[in-house]
Amino acid sequence: MNNSDPDKKLPSLLDYREVVGPDIIEELAILASHVGRKSIKMVNSTAVGGGVAEMLHRIVPLLNELGIQTEWQVIKGDDVFFEITKKMHNSLQGSEETISERAFRTYLSYNEANSKEIEADQDLIVIHDPQPAALIAWNQKRKNKWVWRCHIDLSHPNQKTWNLLKPYVENYDAAIFSSPLFSPQLSIPQYRFYPAIDPLDDKNKQLEKHYVRSVFKKYGIPRDKPIVTQISRYDPWKDPVGVIKAFRLARKHVECRLLLVGDKAADDPESDEVFEKVRAEAGDDPEIHTLLFSPSIPTEINAFQRGSDIVLQKSLREGFALTVSEALWKKRPVIGAAVGGIPAQVIDGYTGLLVYSVEGANLGIRQLLNQPDFAKTLAENGHQRVKDEFLITKNVKRYLLLLLALERPDKQTIFLSS
Amino acid sequence: MGGVFQFRSCASLEQLTGRKATTLEELLSLIRTCSESSIFYHTFSAFLKMRQVKRPHNSDFAAWASTGLNEKALAEKMTAIELLEFNTIGELRKRLIEIIEAYREEKPGAFKKTSDEPFFLYDVKRFVYLTDKFAYDLGSFIELLPTISMYSVYYHFIESRLETGMRADDFSVWIEDTLNLPDLAQKIRAIDIYAYDLEGLRHHIIQILDEYRKTRRDH
Repeated sequence: MNNSDPDKKLPSLLDYREVVGPDIIEELAILASHVGRKSIKMVNSTAVGGGVAEMLHRIVPLLNELGIQTEWQVIKGDDVFFEITKKMHNSLQGSEETISERAFRTYLSYNEANSKEIEADQDLIVIHDPQPAALIAWNQKRKNKWVWRCHIDLSHPNQKTWNLLKPYVENYDAAIFSSPLFSPQLSIPQYRFYPAIDPLDDKNKQLEKHYVRSVFKKYGIPRDKPIVTQISRYDPWKDPVGVIKAFRLARKHVECRLLLVGDKAADDPESDEVFEKVRAEAGDDPEIHTLLFSPSIPTEINAFQRGSDIVLQKSLREGFALTVSEALWKKRPVIGAAVGGIPAQVIDGYTGLLVYSVEGANLGIRQLLNQPDFAKTLAENGHQRVKDEFLITKNVKRYLLLLLALERPDKQTIFLSS
Repeated sequence: MGGVFQFRSCASLEQLTGRKATTLEELLSLIRTCSESSIFYHTFSAFLKMRQVKRPHNSDFAAWASTGLNEKALAEKMTAIELLEFNTIGELRKRLIEIIEAYREEKPGAFKKTSDEPFFLYDVKRFVYLTDKFAYDLGSFIELLPTISMYSVYYHFIESRLETGMRADDFSVWIEDTLNLPDLAQKIRAIDIYAYDLEGLRHHIIQILDEYRKTRRDH
């Protein structure tokens, strides 16, 4: 996680002003003034690790700075609970394993126990993901608004598991999903919040060129040829072997090196196996560089992205793939597979190239390396798109609008007067 | 909008409807039955999205016809709709339906196609609010234009027409009615919105105003 150092000073709105422009921050302040003295409580299942905790670490202080009293509370659980919620997570994302009714009752008992420790008297309660989703059952007499923020892909859930959870979800005032691709049919209003990157965290902040050079040197990656990079876990769905195949096809026509960088997830024994497959595919090819971290250092990942000539995300299946926005933010031309949330970030031919196969990725590499002006235009457009839609300041704005929208559920157009 | 010009701005919160289309017949059904705010989102709001990249289509419907179904001719016909000539969403909806129905007569085979990439219907909550920026005369107006947000440019030049019911943008109306400069207002109204993204539009407006001011000084 990027902000594990508790003494590290988090950026303020003033710092973001430099990045997104004063007009955007001024309008956040105007919207916050219309929201008035409201409070939010965010609830999730972990304080560290994972994208949700990372996002909450940043968004909570920014909302407070805008005058919205925002707290963040983490539910308690032990191995028994998290074993169940992990299965539930996989099952809701489409795996065949189902949650037994008995396991679900255990899940409910942990939610009930947590409900006694969580004061939920704020104006808006935002429950993140399935782990604490049932908390609402013990808050039936609430007068405030409850919203379920689902960060996972619910487009093809295991129906048995979904049928257990769905009645709880439909108790909420609204639900939030990252994409229409991920949302199920529900009887409550649904909003779309794109996930977002923080332009000022270690993974995305501006770096000195000499630091970028030093990182490539540290890992023995020469920069004598254009560098094509994919940064992703070693997971079959990220198709690292397909990336090597695409690179080899492209290299017959253009000089380049391939860099594959991935984290080894502590709870993912498959990553070692996949990494070995990747190593076997790469053989002793001196132009293919494979790195496995456990865990990686965010500033080094940042340097790998900034030092690359093309960034690939050739996944076969995806969640949202914010690595794409990270690369675009750094004005790197991106070739992305047309899966999951990638097409929301890569508009083919305008903010990057979308591909559907190994052959397509090969053609994309050749096109971008042979047409540097075109690659530059895509990267500039991509940077602008990320600035408009995929930065944390946009998510702050969405939370402000959500507070305003929940107050006026029947109106589609809301005129805010002072 | 008489007297002082107080800049407004706008914001949107996208709503998922759970409705989608994979064929032209389904798209037609969505357009016939969806809320006015959905039509607004997929057409007028596309101007805002064009801010990021100058894309060839001015509506999500046209973009999907092109990329989802590879029906380039239909996409062109929908893109050619002069959105700014419509000051009610009802009229715009009717026009979209007419175009798709006429296309069915022209190319029935297009209606047999199914796209692998569905068109997802959105709805939207729109918010309009006052900013703390005021223009008192042409000079202060020109000074403020570079400082307002792109959402503010979009609101005054595009979206406000739906509220005022006028076939003109707020800027030119104020310039004509309050500053009594009809010639300058006409130049602003003559801008071809299709030639610019929003940043380009802002620059072009400033350029027109600057040139006008310079000409007046020279005389």
